[in-house]
Amino acid sequence: MRIPLEWLREYVDIKKSPKEIADSFTLLGLMLDKIDGEVLSLEHRMDRSDWLSVLGCARDLAAFEKLNLILPPLHTQKGKAPGKNQIVNIDVECPDKVRRFNTRVFRNIKVKPSPDWLKNRLELYGIPAINNIVDITNYVMVELGQPMHAQDLAKMEKQEIVIRNAKKTDAITTLLGENIELDESMFVLTQNDKPTVIGGIVGGESTGINEKTTDIVLDAGNYDQVNIRKTSRKIKIQNESVLRYDKFLHPKLTEIAIQRTAYLILELAGGEYFENIDWYPDKTPLKELTLRKTRLDKIGGMDIKLSTAKEILDSLGYKIRNESSDQISVEIPYFRTDVEVEDDLVADVLRINSYEKVPSKIISGAPPKEISTPIYAFEDKLRNLCVNLGLHEHITIPLVKKKGVSGEVVLENALSSERNALRTTIRETLLPVVSTYKKHKISDIGLFEIGKVYKDNKEENILEIYHKDPKPILSALLREFGIGWKDFNKIGSISLDSITIKTEKLMNSRGVGNRVVTELKNYSTEDFSFVLKQEQQFGDVYYEIKNFHGKIVNVEVLETRELSKNEKSVHVRITYSTSDTSKIREDLLSKLKKVHNVNLR
Amino acid sequence: MLEQAKKIRQEFKEDLQNIQNKDELYLKYFSKKRGVIPQLFKEIASFDQNKRREAGAVLNKLKTEIETKLKNESEIHIETTTDFTSPSPPPNIGMAHPTIQVAREMNEFFRYYGFSVVEGPEIETAEYNFRKLNLPEDHPATDLQDTLFIKEPDLLLRTHTSSVEARVLSTQKPPIRVVTPGRCYRNETPNASNAAFFWQYQGFVVDEGITIQHLKGTLEEFHKFLFGDDVKLRFRYKYYPEVSPGMGVDMLCKFCRGNGCDPCKHRGWFEILGSGMIHPTILENCGIDPEKYTGFAFGMGLDRLAMQRFGINDIRKLYEGDMIYT
Repeated sequence: MRIPLEWLREYVDIKKSPKEIADSFTLLGLMLDKIDGEVLSLEHRMDRSDWLSVLGCARDLAAFEKLNLILPPLHTQKGKAPGKNQIVNIDVECPDKVRRFNTRVFRNIKVKPSPDWLKNRLELYGIPAINNIVDITNYVMVELGQPMHAQDLAKMEKQEIVIRNAKKTDAITTLLGENIELDESMFVLTQNDKPTVIGGIVGGESTGINEKTTDIVLDAGNYDQVNIRKTSRKIKIQNESVLRYDKFLHPKLTEIAIQRTAYLILELAGGEYFENIDWYPDKTPLKELTLRKTRLDKIGGMDIKLSTAKEILDSLGYKIRNESSDQISVEIPYFRTDVEVEDDLVADVLRINSYEKVPSKIISGAPPKEISTPIYAFEDKLRNLCVNLGLHEHITIPLVKKKGVSGEVVLENALSSERNALRTTIRETLLPVVSTYKKHKISDIGLFEIGKVYKDNKEENILEIYHKDPKPILSALLREFGIGWKDFNKIGSISLDSITIKTEKLMNSRGVGNRVVTELKNYSTEDFSFVLKQEQQFGDVYYEIKNFHGKIVNVEVLETRELSKNEKSVHVRITYSTSDTSKIREDLLSKLKKVHNVNLR
Repeated sequence: MLEQAKKIRQEFKEDLQNIQNKDELYLKYFSKKRGVIPQLFKEIASFDQNKRREAGAVLNKLKTEIETKLKNESEIHIETTTDFTSPSPPPNIGMAHPTIQVAREMNEFFRYYGFSVVEGPEIETAEYNFRKLNLPEDHPATDLQDTLFIKEPDLLLRTHTSSVEARVLSTQKPPIRVVTPGRCYRNETPNASNAAFFWQYQGFVVDEGITIQHLKGTLEEFHKFLFGDDVKLRFRYKYYPEVSPGMGVDMLCKFCRGNGCDPCKHRGWFEILGSGMIHPTILENCGIDPEKYTGFAFGMGLDRLAMQRFGINDIRKLYEGDMIYT
């Protein structure tokens, strides 16, 4: 929201510098984006529709600075009663999209350029000046936050405004000369069944105001904000009107805005002012809320007097309905559509009182029950292991191009067709990192990622390792968790340059991999050379040896050699925690022969 | 034999002075096959008893003497030509991802204060990502976080780690102290500061007697831990649908100390996180009585902190494979 300070000062007589004013705005919730000379740009958050108006911003500033708010003059008297054939008929055929459609008619006005003060303010805000009528409607929109709209009565084929759902055949040409196609989800203002305005979003050129205009119909509509938001996205129009209409505005705002517009038109364009139809079948009531002193204390943790709270709420425009020693009931003003619960009143009191006055406190008391996710700590341990093994951790984006494999998780609304599904392996997103290293002339590299893969709308935790020689890495991991090769098949896989481990399974099947030795034992070693078929997996044999006898403490593979096309030899060193090995050896060799058909060379 | 021992002692002395390799020297004197001393022991085996005893004593003395000297490293000076000033390639040390390093540091702080570290699913339902968090579908705030849907409108990739908050509050009873680091997704066209994939760090506390003062105090201590005792924070009102009252937190720009410079976009402050008192509707949605319990929550991006610490200027470098470690 851009706030020309000269405009702001019309409502709040503040003497501070632009920087100081910006600081106050920032503290109370309107953070400064930038100061542009005498214009502040404040970041807007979506809940406060009144912060899209200069008066709304001024109101909070006045409350924060404990200054008076000066309201702009309104024309509160009713307009003349229209003659029978002077009424512009209003008909709403889509009441689900329209809450109120408030109209007036002005006749014999003089359309001309606006006075300089008005032009300057609009231009500082960022809206070009056109003529007094168009400028006034824009001015009131920025001042009060209610978009306004005027049409030239002479250009209307019928003295009526009918609001109905759009049809596929409808099309509208905007004032900018853009052709827009419509559909049934949208609604339009029509006359003689011809669309003149896309409801709440943009007007057509056919009934626009120019110097020849003398009679106008003015409308202030109140529409369903969700519909406006969806339509504006669909037709890709974002403008000052949409900015305000896609928030919830209270229908009451149309009354104030019309009174203000009438004041300015009669002041700057003259003419006669007529009542017209105010279509408002279901009144939206103003809500009431009660603020309890106990609640204020419970959230703020400090003693703010109820009288202070009352002052603050009053300065923000709340009407005090009831008060007692321990609570205040207020009517929520029409411009505060964001206020829903008691804690929102607490928020108003605390922020206008300033957060800077809130003391700091450390949480105390015994720590609650530990509910950490076990896999998180376990994966962190795995991460340490990998780092200790010299591997670098990378995190890659799981969004990939759809492959069309079964179980793949595909996104319905991805912006890019290169990233419209979730990965089924980490390898596919980790490998590009390897080539980045290669580009940097680093080829001797080990990488890992701890992440997820996605299948059938479920996710699975995975540790993926890339390394040119993954076997020693895997051996180290398995040793750490006391897991044999046989069990590894159930928790992961290894290839020539990678290891994939399902971390949850590893966590659940891990044993104790104690590598600490404190007693010197009477160790002895024996070397064996086994002959295996080429296709035979030595892992099974290894596992068998390792677990064969309690006194076999280590099995080391020294060498694997190809003997012929069909056979290989594996040279193994077995360490015993005894020197009396003959019986164990005999039994082992016969078991290996029997179960695995493995012989000594 | 005495003569021989004397000669050997002298030879050893010279050897020790010109030593190149300790193991070789050891083998020269003690190798079972060809070592000088075992050879002598072999020789005296054929001596008659008296002579053997005498020679044995001399030999044993010599053996102990040489052994001791060889064992006592400090007496051995190996002449060396190594130039220590010439750098060697360092051994390979693995590195954890920058984002993880930052998250670990934060965990360290919160673990100290008794927080649990909780993870939740990335494939999430609208129930936990929006509805329980006071974010109904037509809420304007849902525009902020354009969602990547797997099956519209109910199955999606979580847009924030607040979904974990909704899950924890729905299953645990207060007192609760939890932090939750995690991957999040948004339907955004990536640029240098926003990406479709990013990391968030969320924390929340629910207990009796929790006030906005605890939120302020916790965040102050936390930032002192991360950035040092002279860190200065600014607390201002900010709206988030998940909280009421909401609170935005900024850190005084360390470059200009608040005077305004390019890095802080001339604001003097860096926006660092969003926070507030957990909205009573959320507590209610999750089955916690908001009259009895209150709580605070905060959430921040991990990426920007990691980028700051490691001098990375584009969020895409963090996760798109364009970053290497040396």
